[in-house]
Amino acid sequence: MHDKEQSVSYLDYKGKHSGIFAWILSTDHKRIGLLYLMASLLFFAVGVTFGFLMRLELIAPGRTIMDAQTYNSLFTLHGIIMIFLFVIPGLPAVFGNFFLPILIGAKDVAFPRLNLLSWWLYVLGALLAVISVFLPGGPADTGWTFYIPYSIRSTTNVMPALIAAFILGFSSILTGLNFIVTIHRMRAPGMTFFKMPLFAWSLYATAWVQILATPIIGITLLLVTIERMFGVGLFDPALGGDPVLYQHLFWIYSHPAVYIMILPAMGVVTEIIPVFSHRTIFGYKFIAFSSCAIALFGSMVWAHHMFTVGMSETAQVIFSLLTFLVAIPSAIKVFNWVATLYKGSISTDAPLLYALGFIFLFSIGGFTGLIQGALSVNMHIHDTSFIVAHFHYVMFGGTGFGIFAAMHYWFPKMFGKMYNMKTAKVGFWTLFVGFNTLYFPMFVMGWLGMPRRYFDYLPEFQIYHFISTIGSWILIVGLIIMFTNFIKALRSKTSYTNINPWSGETLEWTVPNKPPLENFEVIPTITAGPYEYKDNDEILTKEDN
Amino acid sequence: MIYGSNHIDLVNDAFWFITGISALLLFVITFLMIYFVFKYNRKKGKKAVNIEGNTKLEILWTVIPVILVMAMFWYGWIGYRDLKNPPKDAMIVKVTAQMWKWTFEYDNGVKADSLYVPVNRAIQVNLHSLDVNHSFFIPAFRFKRDVLPNKNNSIWFLPANVGKFDIACAEYCGLSHSAMYSKVIVLPQQEFDNWLKTELVKKNASVTQSSAVNRK
Amino acid sequence: MSVVAEHISEHVHRDDLGSRMGIWLFLFTELVLFGGMFLVYAVYRFTYQQEFHVAAKELNTLIGTLNTLILLTSSLTMVLAIVAIRKDNKFLSIFFQVITIFLAFGFMVNKYFEWMAKIHHGIYPGSETLLAKGNGEILFFGLYYVMTGLHGLHVLIGMVLIGVMTRFTMKGTVNSDKYIHLEAAGLYWHLVDIIWIFLFPLFYLIT
Ligand code: HEM
Ligand SMILES: [Cu+2]
Ligand SMILES: [Cu+2]
Repeated sequence: MHDKEQSVSYLDYKGKHSGIFAWILSTDHKRIGLLYLMASLLFFAVGVTFGFLMRLELIAPGRTIMDAQTYNSLFTLHGIIMIFLFVIPGLPAVFGNFFLPILIGAKDVAFPRLNLLSWWLYVLGALLAVISVFLPGGPADTGWTFYIPYSIRSTTNVMPALIAAFILGFSSILTGLNFIVTIHRMRAPGMTFFKMPLFAWSLYATAWVQILATPIIGITLLLVTIERMFGVGLFDPALGGDPVLYQHLFWIYSHPAVYIMILPAMGVVTEIIPVFSHRTIFGYKFIAFSSCAIALFGSMVWAHHMFTVGMSETAQVIFSLLTFLVAIPSAIKVFNWVATLYKGSISTDAPLLYALGFIFLFSIGGFTGLIQGALSVNMHIHDTSFIVAHFHYVMFGGTGFGIFAAMHYWFPKMFGKMYNMKTAKVGFWTLFVGFNTLYFPMFVMGWLGMPRRYFDYLPEFQIYHFISTIGSWILIVGLIIMFTNFIKALRSKTSYTNINPWSGETLEWTVPNKPPLENFEVIPTITAGPYEYKDNDEILTKEDN
Repeated sequence: MIYGSNHIDLVNDAFWFITGISALLLFVITFLMIYFVFKYNRKKGKKAVNIEGNTKLEILWTVIPVILVMAMFWYGWIGYRDLKNPPKDAMIVKVTAQMWKWTFEYDNGVKADSLYVPVNRAIQVNLHSLDVNHSFFIPAFRFKRDVLPNKNNSIWFLPANVGKFDIACAEYCGLSHSAMYSKVIVLPQQEFDNWLKTELVKKNASVTQSSAVNRK
Repeated sequence: MSVVAEHISEHVHRDDLGSRMGIWLFLFTELVLFGGMFLVYAVYRFTYQQEFHVAAKELNTLIGTLNTLILLTSSLTMVLAIVAIRKDNKFLSIFFQVITIFLAFGFMVNKYFEWMAKIHHGIYPGSETLLAKGNGEILFFGLYYVMTGLHGLHVLIGMVLIGVMTRFTMKGTVNSDKYIHLEAAGLYWHLVDIIWIFLFPLFYLIT
């Protein structure tokens, strides 16, 4: 090592600022990634608490622990927090920031200061959301969808929540912009697009969706804000405005946003499966292109959230048809992942368990999406707890488990510590069982006619609600096991020096744990694809030791 | 068979058709995952084989799902088709939603807070909202339709059996959204006619009464 | 993945092409943002053709045309400012930048009088005069205020940006070798111009 300063870890080096400023003013992509990680996990904890309370309320019909107004605010906040503060930034802003530059052999992202700005916008948006809870008027109760006209009628603090979402949108745009330029301009010599790790591909597709779709929600939420302030009438039916137009604009963004959430998680799974099977990925190009296909077709199916508003017949047919087609690239990915296990040399460590858990839960989410895409069935199950189950399977079972998989996979690299493998597996299984107990009954209820966003319900649904609430307890135990395992590892004194614990072949496994500022001492030159395992024998002997 | 009386079956069929295929595929995927994890476990000490892909397979598992989802689309569509076109002789009921109750008004001006309908007769409901969005949902009949303040939606159904069924509001509309329940009460034609007649008499009586009050 | 070591010497990262790409992407998001508004406009124009027609007559085409000319000229002076700095003529560049800001200011003054005149006639969101009109006219003026307001906000931001650039040029941070920031401000300014080019006919000309 010719330069001593370079080998100091990103956690320890001294920059321009000291103390907390060394963090909150840092433009180092790894520090920013870590800040995002801590913030989004904090909000995740809050969101889970709200979810837990909602489930507790629903354990029996009638009022149990809170009134209807509180319940309505809780599901609104739960939705806003989980969507805008946890799953959207969860992978791109956290792991994308931390690992994208390393994966493509760069020292940082293209615009480090812009990166810091988007972190600050995230904090600002989050603070506004938090403040809205405590202002007089009470937290917003519109649902995270802010449907008009209710959102211009409600007397709660809808405004701060709207502005918060607007600002968070900008944060997300800037991250996307940064990643696109980074991927185009900063790849190490020799790293062609098709030699990029697939996580980078998925971030690339995501980034395009971020910058193309997010401005639409920005302007839409801004219009609602203006509507509330000045009563311009643009969406107000009393003045000629059209609430359905609002729904269109909202979903033109929010459906693609679903792909902002899921694509990077698919990317993580695509990284993990070949590493733990220790063989090359099956169908690299098909996976890469299906990311792009999802990003493309995903932006043309928004109105499948609106089949019941009474659109023209042609529109119904087209959107239903496209909805079915957009399932195909996802299916292709699933098949390729499974095929990658074939004739591998599979080690069932925690990251792989989470990745396989992802495939199972996401598949259920996807299949139930097909059920909703069918027009006649949609008329029945739209806005019932069937939908609630579906999107939790996709967003939590999919993206959430993707985030957990990423945490287990990259933990040793990020912190130079290792968690207890057995506990991690116990945590996974508890989570998995809890998850299905919590959400599966919602499919059944939904099919039987239990509407969504209901504080109270008819007695015939009680048994399902009861099981579901028990499930939420099991799930939370699983979360606690997982996080205490991490915290224990972080606090342990023994540092973990193996820089490549899973025998991965991508670039992050060539740099020291807790990578130094600017990651690489010398920028590598790439000559081979990311998953070309040549040392099959080596890994077997290593396993024996 | 009367046009529209099999709507429930069509929805159920589409649902079970898609669910069945999905369950099968999910089973295959899960089974293969588990099987591979055991068969090719590293503990067995076999070397991995680098298989880069197989274009034939890719085409196969693109084309087959495309065919399957097209079939699913078709099933969903035929179940939906007849919801759109109410028969000409449908009985029309005006439904008004407001935070947080339903009102049903018949041709002759009779108003009720439950929806009384005769069995085996096509019913068209014209939906209006006085305030925010609601959604008119009858789980037992497998359909819902949004009730919007600026747009007059309508939908129709054909109750094939006598009985009482729930009407729920399925679009979030504020504080008491979850209490916005009502009932469809399906009566034999004769009983329905009687009900309507009595209501009309009651209504006229109350009108004359109130106008009598006014005169004094 | 086999990795061949290769030493690199330079640590300061400068990539003008990358920066330009970033700017274009950003401008693109701005376009999409306004695109959302244009979508709303299109839908309502389609629904209320007659009333939009009537309402548009009330706008002052003269002020609108004047403002269009002002903005077009300012786009030109902005280009000239960049050409000047490229030729290393610092003074001329500053001169053109100041002219640009001046023109932008003129645009805002016009806008101010235009809005004020409307408000004096009692036409503003929520006013009795406006509420007495048909829904289509309410929406037309709603859109008018929101869209020109949002555009005006962009003009203001543009003025600040160019002001900062003028300062940079004076200090020499922007110079004939490194003028990417000025270029960015220029591109932003053209965007503001282009959006106006769309707004002008939609509100003032099509009646
Ligand atoms: C312990 C974990 C969780 C529990 C117990 C839980 C429970 C719930 C419940 C009861 C609802 C209300 C459903 C309704 O009445 O319509 C809900 C809504 C929602 N949840 Fe969760 N949830 C959990 C985790 C998550 C996660 C991880 C995400 C995101 C990845 C998420 C995203 C959402 C969203 C977006 C809504 C919709 C809010 C709305 O309708 O406005 N939840 N959840
Ligand atoms: Cu969607
Ligand atoms: Cu409701």
